[in-house]
Amino acid sequence: MTQGAAIDVLGVAKRFATDPPGAPAVLGGVDLSIGANEFVALVGRSGCGKTTLLNIIAGLETASAGEVRVGGTRVTGPGGGKGVVFQQNALFPWLTAARNIAFAARNRGLDAAAAAALAAELLRLVGLDGAAAKYPCELSGGMQQRVAIARALALDPAILLMDEPFGALDEITRTEMQEELLRVWEARRKTVVFVTHSITEALLLADRIIVLAPRPGRIVLELRPGLPRPRRRSEPTLARLHEQIWDALRDDHAAARA
Amino acid sequence: MNARHALPPLALLAALLLGWEAAAAAGWLTPIRFPPPSRLATSFRELALEGFPFGAFLSTHVVATLRRVLAGYLIAVALAVPLGLLIGASPLLDRMASPVVAFGRSIATLSLLPLALVWFGTEEAPKVFLIGFGCFWVMLSNVIAAIKLVDPVLLRAARSMDTPPRDIFLRVMLPAALPRIAAGARMALGMGFVVIVGAEMIGTSIGLGALIMEARTFYRSDITMVGMACIGAIGFALTALLGLLEARLMPWRRGRQT
Amino acid sequence: MAPPLRARLAASPALAGALGVALLLLAWEVAARLLWRDPATLPAPSEAVLVALRLLTPGEIAMHVLISLGRILAGFTLAAVAGITLGVLCGRVAAVERLLRPFVEAFRPVPPLAWIPIAIVWFGLGEASKVFVIFLGAFFPIWTSAWRGAALVPQVLLDSARSMEVRGPALLFRVVLPASLPDIAVGLRVALGLSFGVLVAAELIAAERGMGRLVMQARELGQMGVAIFAIFLIGIISLLADQQLSAIIRRSVGRWRPV
Repeated sequence: MTQGAAIDVLGVAKRFATDPPGAPAVLGGVDLSIGANEFVALVGRSGCGKTTLLNIIAGLETASAGEVRVGGTRVTGPGGGKGVVFQQNALFPWLTAARNIAFAARNRGLDAAAAAALAAELLRLVGLDGAAAKYPCELSGGMQQRVAIARALALDPAILLMDEPFGALDEITRTEMQEELLRVWEARRKTVVFVTHSITEALLLADRIIVLAPRPGRIVLELRPGLPRPRRRSEPTLARLHEQIWDALRDDHAAARA
Repeated sequence: MNARHALPPLALLAALLLGWEAAAAAGWLTPIRFPPPSRLATSFRELALEGFPFGAFLSTHVVATLRRVLAGYLIAVALAVPLGLLIGASPLLDRMASPVVAFGRSIATLSLLPLALVWFGTEEAPKVFLIGFGCFWVMLSNVIAAIKLVDPVLLRAARSMDTPPRDIFLRVMLPAALPRIAAGARMALGMGFVVIVGAEMIGTSIGLGALIMEARTFYRSDITMVGMACIGAIGFALTALLGLLEARLMPWRRGRQT
Repeated sequence: MAPPLRARLAASPALAGALGVALLLLAWEVAARLLWRDPATLPAPSEAVLVALRLLTPGEIAMHVLISLGRILAGFTLAAVAGITLGVLCGRVAAVERLLRPFVEAFRPVPPLAWIPIAIVWFGLGEASKVFVIFLGAFFPIWTSAWRGAALVPQVLLDSARSMEVRGPALLFRVVLPASLPDIAVGLRVALGLSFGVLVAAELIAAERGMGRLVMQARELGQMGVAIFAIFLIGIISLLADQQLSAIIRRSVGRWRPV
């Protein structure tokens, strides 16, 4: 199993071609170093560029300036051990859960039998052994995202990039999925970059939280909760950190509107 | 499509036309089967100014065809709309009529041509009948669907405002069904046009369908091609015209695709 | 209508439908026998069926049907292959779309039947001309639906595939094509319906055998009953073909997308 790789974001900036000339950039020169097997959360309001940054790390979008290195190698495109889990349902609807996972495994070079075995193993890992032969349309939102995570893991990726993966789920399911994710991550350590707009979610999950503000997109705060997992929402440290992050976001927003 | 994008297809078109012309000149393509573009241009003039066959101008053919289409189409619409509204509004009638409508639509309209010739003679009547028949079923099924598919939420809202049933029908159902009825009207006209071209190929010498068929017996495939281009142009114009009408009559649908 | 009957009709669409058809046939039967009374021009349904069965052998009917179906199969299959391939390419490869679309759109307004005379000039009176015209009729709806389906594949599916290093032709074949199947299925059904109409017309105008020819032949021989029988036969067969296609679609695409 591939070890988690370090990610280096070096002076990454992004401007959309459709932006008017004077407008602030989506991302304005971001520098970030993520260690191997570190769980990092990117938090910010909509439009702060967190999804764009994730896409650039994933190689799905190109930066206007700067570069990203994963495990020391420059990112030039998607794939290559950069697993992605999206917010919307990205499972191939015409394949069963098991075949979706096997699809990723086959792409890595496994033959059909090995891919099927890996799919079964990963389904067990995410607690869905009975769902192998089900189509995505037959699965609930939470189950779909679990399959999506299993599929990303099937790539045996060096890094796992998650773009608000639980954003479309109801709150109860979301809480369950957060616990699931931590459990899976304990079992298969990877470097994780997790984008969310929920401060609470970031505090519950991450080793390190990077707070971004928009226009131009940039880092305004970085902190480590420093608490062992699983964390409880009622912990006083979390409440204090929540305030801190909230203040950082609010100040920036007020300053922008002034 | 901006200028730069229009270039490749235009270039391809020019290349094809030149290639065609050259191949005909070199004798690779027989002029009977592939009259070159230069010939087609003169044929068009001939058709417009001298007429074919025997002095029937292009305008004569076009008018004859359009008259027949219009007559059959208007009769069909006049019958189909009230009947369709009635059937669509009554679940019982709808269920009884549904296989009949399905079957009516599946009858190949032109297969009735021989019968129509026996019943109505060989003048205008059998053609008008065929067009009417073809348009009728298309229009009917669309009107029925239009009424059935009126958003139940609208009806519930009207009823909760104590609207009397007659008003519900006239002031809620009808306007709500109108876009789909208009779409059906467009489809029915298209159908009518398709039918007439076929219907005119048997036993007539005036009309666009007759024109292209007659031309073949005279070995004038150049006239056939010119006739086909005219048919295409008119078909396109009719659809565009109806589209404009639709936009005018239903301004609340502007910006949405049917 | 007595309440129990109304209730039963409301409960079963099949029963209501059957009643509708039965009423219509009955009205026709009565009108033909009592009002029109000229079986030579408008026979009653019962008369039509009896005459047809007397004058035509099952073998003869079968031959015409099979020939027609064979033509449809050939034209439809060619149209499906060409339409799906070009449609998917147009939907996803901008260069292809820019090049091909104007040509396809230029030919689209010409009704397939209008191609019959030129098809006869190019291919003669044999099978090829009929298959060609059917191909033209079926091609456009299939191409349009494939193009639409391919163009509207959700970006997230494409990004997913790219993050799994699926690119180029593999992306088109393993992701875009399956994702477009629901739309293509609709296009296929429309195309099949059109094919029957086009086929019959082509056979009426210029054929020696086939269901359309059967109708024409009956008229030439003054056998109205046979003509009516043949017309209904065409209708029934096209309905059956559509049902078959729908069943195939339900069993394949219908398993992973509510159809």
